Amino acid sequence: MPGIRPELRDEPTRAWVGFAAAFGATALATAIVVALRDVAPAVSLGLVYLVGVLAVATWFGRWSGVTAAVLGAAGYNWFLIDPTGRFTVADSKDWYALGIFLVSALAASALADQARSRIRVGELRRQEAALAAATAADLLGEGPISLRLRTAARRVGDAVGVEGARIAEGDVAAPPGMVAIELSGPRGRVGTLLMPHTLPAAVQQRLRLRVAPGLGTLLESALERDRLAAEVVETEALRRSDALKTALLRATSHDLRSPITAIIAAGETLRSPTLPQADREELADVVVGEGTRLDELISKLLDLSRLQAGTAEPRADWCEIGELLHAAVEDVEARDPGGGSFTFAMQRDLPLVRADPAQLERVFANLLENARRFSAGQPVSVRARVVGSRLVVRVVDQGPGIPPAVQRRVFDPFWRGTDHHREGQAHTGSGLGLAIAKGFVEANGGRIALESVPGQGTTVVVELVLSGPAEAAA
Amino acid sequence: MTERRRILVCDDEPQILRALKVVLREAGFEPVPAETVEEALDLAAVHPPDAAIVDLVLPDGDGIDILRGLREWSQMPVLVLSAVGDEAAKVRALDAGADDYVTKPFGPRELVARLEAALRRVGEGAGQPAITVGDLEIDVAGHRVTSGGEEIHLTPTEWGLLKTLALNPGRLMTHRALLIEVWGPEYADDNHVLRGQIANLRRKIEPAGGRRYIRTDPGVGYRFTDEP
Repeated sequence: MPGIRPELRDEPTRAWVGFAAAFGATALATAIVVALRDVAPAVSLGLVYLVGVLAVATWFGRWSGVTAAVLGAAGYNWFLIDPTGRFTVADSKDWYALGIFLVSALAASALADQARSRIRVGELRRQEAALAAATAADLLGEGPISLRLRTAARRVGDAVGVEGARIAEGDVAAPPGMVAIELSGPRGRVGTLLMPHTLPAAVQQRLRLRVAPGLGTLLESALERDRLAAEVVETEALRRSDALKTALLRATSHDLRSPITAIIAAGETLRSPTLPQADREELADVVVGEGTRLDELISKLLDLSRLQAGTAEPRADWCEIGELLHAAVEDVEARDPGGGSFTFAMQRDLPLVRADPAQLERVFANLLENARRFSAGQPVSVRARVVGSRLVVRVVDQGPGIPPAVQRRVFDPFWRGTDHHREGQAHTGSGLGLAIAKGFVEANGGRIALESVPGQGTTVVVELVLSGPAEAAA
Repeated sequence: MTERRRILVCDDEPQILRALKVVLREAGFEPVPAETVEEALDLAAVHPPDAAIVDLVLPDGDGIDILRGLREWSQMPVLVLSAVGDEAAKVRALDAGADDYVTKPFGPRELVARLEAALRRVGEGAGQPAITVGDLEIDVAGHRVTSGGEEIHLTPTEWGLLKTLALNPGRLMTHRALLIEVWGPEYADDNHVLRGQIANLRRKIEPAGGRRYIRTDPGVGYRFTDEP
């Protein structure tokens, strides 16, 4: 923060400077006294020494002031009291004058010194207040707590003129070369201020007494605030996962149970010794087919729950979109060899994309599977090219399209389109493919959108960010 | 008929072990079942099997422990069973010396095909002078590749990559393994280099738009086809 430079160092002035000043001030006063002693009475000239004492005590403190007072008394005696030029006093009244001078000088010195310390303490308090305000802004600001702690610690270090100050959360033992200062808030220990052990003891004490309590309270509120913020996020995630669980139970109780029913029924029937071979094979197909369907559904539910729980951390690597699209086609064709075909229109020398290859492959497999399901046997077209700083993949089907009213909902889990075009085929989608595709695309920093005109098919557009120096595949 | 080849099978799920035993016996192998890492290593030491199929998650360790134990004294083919989506575990197993992996739930046909391919590779050895797959002819000794009789010009890196893949037909090679083999250990993590060179190589040898010879296993590695 510009303009605030708290200087909590409070270096005591070196003793010899004060004493030198005392000698200097007395010498100066003596010069004036000697110049004036023929025109003014001795008593009033004594005041000249008093001014010197006041000045020295104000600037350099008590002991310099006392020195100036004693030197002034000596000078007063030597130059002003008869017989001058000697430290003897002829008239006994002059003893009183000298005594009064010395006492007044010492009193003036003490008063000046007191005023001086009051100003100094006031200045220190002002600096402490400025430091507290600045660290409050640091600690309660935005950003990760570790960064905020570092900024605040650096500011405290700057204030006392040392480097390497640290603030740690909790009760931390001082590493070698450091001293630990406890930071506590109203509710107890929250952190530790670690300062280099080269810091003078007086400054350490001041930090302990004047800075640490405020800093502790601030740190406690900063940590408390962070905790509350995290709790809000967690509550929101829990609420969402609750809603998801309800939807999941509703949607999957049917989807999970029907393949299981078929498998159990087929298995029981297979036991019959009189079953003709053709029936046996058909039932075996049912077991394998329904089991596969169940497995796909469970994989998708797992993907979705990982995405919803935020645990689908991408393992970023350099991906070549072409090979991922081809792997996705192989995947889709392996699962359903009888479906429609795919045509590719890829820009040459597409750059590599930084993303999780396995997640992207699943995105494309889901999109291709979906497009093929609604494409009424027409080929699904896949295009990829670079637009600005993005790689854009479009999956275009020639299906019935999606009415504008429901376009927004197609990425919701468990939303299903009606597939009119493969009648007699009971296998509809799980309603999870697009939700998972959206989740994985977004987890990898991309965007996914839908363009559809009813009667003219649907296009799903995936945009992936080309990061850093775009490395051409060529 | 010669003696049946013995296959060590390690899985802690009794149902899966039961199914694996039936599948292997049906395919002409003799299964040697084990449920723990310790049991598997003991059985293998007493009477070395011809190959092993191990689950990655076991009660007293993981499949990689078995893999390491076996690899101390044997180069027998080892197949790993893994869950869907766990690419990191697959890569770890392959880099630790597994020959291939099969994702659960697996079809028996796929499992047996992978197992037989792995056993075949052991029998063949690596000293083949020429490899012919489809239209592609790779003359390993003569450093020459032709497609339908027409010579294809490859850069030294592309040649190294093709040779490494083609000498291990059907074998899944991880990105790391390929980078170390073709570029050297200091390039083990330079995945973007590998992506670029694979794309170039495919452009030269693959039929237009196809993936006939080099297959991608996203997030894991590449595999040269073992179909003739």
